[in-house]
Amino acid sequence: MMRWLAMTAAVVLLAVGAFGFVRDHQLRDTDATRNHALVDATATSQVQSQVSQALVKVLSYDYADPTPTQQAAAKLLAGDARKQYDTLFTTLQQKAPGQQLVLTAEVQSAAVKTLTDSTATLLVFLDQSSQRATDKQASVSAAQLQVDAAKVGGSWRITGLKPL
Amino acid sequence: MEERLAEAAEERPRGVRRLWPLAVLLIALVVAAAGLFSWSRAAHDDSIALAKTRDAVLIAATSHIETLNSLDYRHVDAGLAKWAAVTTGTLHDQVTQVSSDERKLLADQKKVSTGKVVDAAVFSLDGDSATVVASVEVTVQDDTKADATPTVKRNRFSADLVDVHGKWLVENLQQVAVDIS
Repeated sequence: MMRWLAMTAAVVLLAVGAFGFVRDHQLRDTDATRNHALVDATATSQVQSQVSQALVKVLSYDYADPTPTQQAAAKLLAGDARKQYDTLFTTLQQKAPGQQLVLTAEVQSAAVKTLTDSTATLLVFLDQSSQRATDKQASVSAAQLQVDAAKVGGSWRITGLKPL
Repeated sequence: MEERLAEAAEERPRGVRRLWPLAVLLIALVVAAAGLFSWSRAAHDDSIALAKTRDAVLIAATSHIETLNSLDYRHVDAGLAKWAAVTTGTLHDQVTQVSSDERKLLADQKKVSTGKVVDAAVFSLDGDSATVVASVEVTVQDDTKADATPTVKRNRFSADLVDVHGKWLVENLQQVAVDIS
């Protein structure tokens, strides 16, 4: 009789424990909790600042010295972003010296939409000004970019760049 | 002496047999306590709550920003009532204080604007206030011109939201202007 009681109680307790673990898992393993954007403040500001700096470097350009831009692109871009950029850079290299083109980029805001240990997506508002020394013309433009980033060897690289 | 040792050896299995239901019960108790403990910890985890709030803010902001970028000249009052429902503070006051002359002007302009958020993200979140940035596509149909094609514009917006009794409302909505020389 006692053994029966003990066994029943044990089964009930194990069920209670199992239910607790299942609820714990359900609460922790959701789309919301898998996304660390803003929840992990340090990681969020790290990806914000690294992606912003990278964008400024690769989207600023001086016809007189295009090397820093090219070097930055090689270091900070990967995947699709790299391919897109190479096409863009080739056209730029053909036009820029003739027009004496200088491009300056500035990030207005970079908001992290999703963040995991090794991937991130951001919505970036970027201003770009272009100056043509040949006809002294300057223009400014407001860009909206959807940016994909991946963490490689401790630092963030841009893997996707989509103007909206 | 040898006999007593033999007896003790025989007694041990009987004692163990009597004890094992208790041991099983103890283990089950520990499992139950651990399960309940981790459930309770998850239910009160701040980072889980923050992640949920962030997603709720984004959903509310996306919908509100679209509302505030939409207005149909045929239903100005209804449109402004929708604006009022998603705003708070000074912005809410401005929306509710649109005069009848201004309402008439809006109706006479014969424009139908429809806002669509292309992409949005929570920029910052601090307790009961948040800032959301959004890329918005605004389509404007001008009905003063019979066969005019709608104009489509992409705008950058920044919205400040506050939690008012469990509802996230827009306190400030501004275009992010170009700021580079």
